[in-house]
Amino acid sequence: MSALAEMLQGEVARAAAETLLTVENVSLTFGGVRALSDISFDIRKGEIRAIIGPNGAGKTSMLNCINGFYHPRSGRITFKGKTRQRMRPYEAASQGIARTFQNVALFKGMTTLDNILTGRTLKMNRNFFWQLLRHGPAMREEIEHRIYCEDIIDFLEIEHIRKTPVGKLPYGLQKRVELGRALAMQPDLLLLDEPMAGMNLEEKEDMCRFILDVNRHFRTTIALIEHDMGVVMDISDRVVVLEYGHKIADGTPDEVKADQRVIDAYLGVSH
Amino acid sequence: MFYREAGQFKTTYASDMAVLPILQDRIGLAVILLIGFVGIPLLGGNFFLQTVMIPFLVFSLAAIGLNILTGYTGLLSLGSGAFMGVGAYACYKLTTIYPGVNIVIWIVASGFFAAAIGVVFGLPSLRIKGFYLIVATLAAQFFLQWSFVRIPWLYNYNASGAIEVPQRLFAGIPLTGANATPVTRYLVLLGIVTFLTWIASNLVHGRIGRSWMAVRDMDIAAELMGIRLLPAKLLAFAVSSFYCGVAGACMMFLWYGGGEANDAFNINQSFTILFMVIIGGLGSLIGSFLGAAFISILPTALKFGVPALGIAIPGTVAEHATYILLGALIIFFLIVEPHGLARLWQIGKQKLRMWPFPY
Ligand SMILES: Nc1ncnc2c1ncn2[C@@H]1O[C@H](COP(=O)(O)OP(=O)(O)O)[C@@H](O)[C@H]1O
Ligand SMILES: [Mg+2]
Repeated sequence: MSALAEMLQGEVARAAAETLLTVENVSLTFGGVRALSDISFDIRKGEIRAIIGPNGAGKTSMLNCINGFYHPRSGRITFKGKTRQRMRPYEAASQGIARTFQNVALFKGMTTLDNILTGRTLKMNRNFFWQLLRHGPAMREEIEHRIYCEDIIDFLEIEHIRKTPVGKLPYGLQKRVELGRALAMQPDLLLLDEPMAGMNLEEKEDMCRFILDVNRHFRTTIALIEHDMGVVMDISDRVVVLEYGHKIADGTPDEVKADQRVIDAYLGVSH
Repeated sequence: MFYREAGQFKTTYASDMAVLPILQDRIGLAVILLIGFVGIPLLGGNFFLQTVMIPFLVFSLAAIGLNILTGYTGLLSLGSGAFMGVGAYACYKLTTIYPGVNIVIWIVASGFFAAAIGVVFGLPSLRIKGFYLIVATLAAQFFLQWSFVRIPWLYNYNASGAIEVPQRLFAGIPLTGANATPVTRYLVLLGIVTFLTWIASNLVHGRIGRSWMAVRDMDIAAELMGIRLLPAKLLAFAVSSFYCGVAGACMMFLWYGGGEANDAFNINQSFTILFMVIIGGLGSLIGSFLGAAFISILPTALKFGVPALGIAIPGTVAEHATYILLGALIIFFLIVEPHGLARLWQIGKQKLRMWPFPY
């Protein structure tokens, strides 16, 4: 009875807290450059939210604000109902935000497996003294997380490069390993900065499939920066369009596609 | 043909995650330990133990220490000599204040003092990297070396200004001091090195080792995995200095039998250990041993080995040849193979795996 009540309550709470992340009036400047001016938007639980815009529009800067690399000059960011002031990236990580980078930021000297295992760091609790022994509970923990990571490796179809140092991998595979590392964090919000940049058509299709699968099967909320308009329109639920640090449109792919300012700023120009 | 995984199917992740997953490697390790603990004490003479094996083991420990900091965490240091000194002086004070406690306990405990000092000098590493961090560790080197000489309390006001290692017994057998035989000292040292190597291997293969390497390879991404940079770096400084400290205590108590900081723990010592790590291989425990073996044995080999082959070279020539060879090798490894001897070792094993088929 109480279990059912709890479940119902949870359901109600979830419906109310549909928004996972709210960005309100965020501005960011570098010296004289206004990278972001008064940006507001939200990300709902379970959706794929695209952020698009021409080069230098401020997309990466926006992600950097969300996960604590940059601190906005003004405005508020609320994640899972908690508004934060200044936050370090490791705090964002512990609150459940993971991300990939526009220029792959893998641990080059480590193997694929070790890179992905590093994503589990926050889930590992055995202390220093157990780590010294690497037996008993510490080893059990290693194995438990190894199994979790092996599932990710299977899912991303990178079994064959499990023990390869990632510095030696081709770019497309590196991007995939980086996605794996972010997934290993079991994030509530996954930020992907141009996950398909520099990929060929086949690799792009694979990556699209992975992103959709992550969203559907793990119910992970995703914020995605992408240049390929076809991809964006296909896989995202809602789109924010930035230009010169300003938000010029926000809505479903169809709404955005029809917006005259977007057509002028972005879609009209062939990329 | 004979060295490979074939037929050794790893049915569990536990066995795949073992530090030495291949059976032949485990046999190899057992053989090395057997030779180390039984063969060498029985067959190696006192001269061999004192001039080859004991220095090699002391330097291996120090090289593991520096490798944890520089090879695994990517933080450069020229203070290893001074951190060895902290261990040596701590051990000296501890055993003179509490003579009743087993000296082996004090040798290992002295590492904690070095770790604490290491953390203090590691604090700037949050803000500075690379060249500037080297300068900061260099400051540690000079400051500590100065303290060892200028604070007479550290060497118990001895007229010599040096550590004079007292005799310490274990079960009636002298472990340190003039009456301790090279065999005893060697075995105690080998025990310490074996144990601490096992610990280091556990650390670098687990969560902590991964977080160090993550900091080394890409610190912003490491932070994004939830790794806090300052604690990770300070832990590396602590563990690294611990190993250097124990190595310093071993150097004084099990090798030199006494001495002073300006000889034993000077900047040259810091450089020597850095060269061992570079030649052996950054980020590799085996490399630490290979580098230590290479650099600590090379001078002896040139001085005694070459004449033994019937080629007469004067002592000074041998000494100069050592420097020239070392310099050339360091340049070679820095340019051609940053992973050092350890990588050559791996390539050799890879070849062995294929042998006798070239592909
Ligand atoms: N760390 C920084 N220092 C100075 N300027 C920056 C920095 N990061 C971004 N910018 C500036 O902010 C603007 C937006 O950049 P960015 O967010 O990378 O754009 P996008 O990802 O949309 O291509 C650019 O004008 C860029 O030069
Ligand atoms: Mg960008």
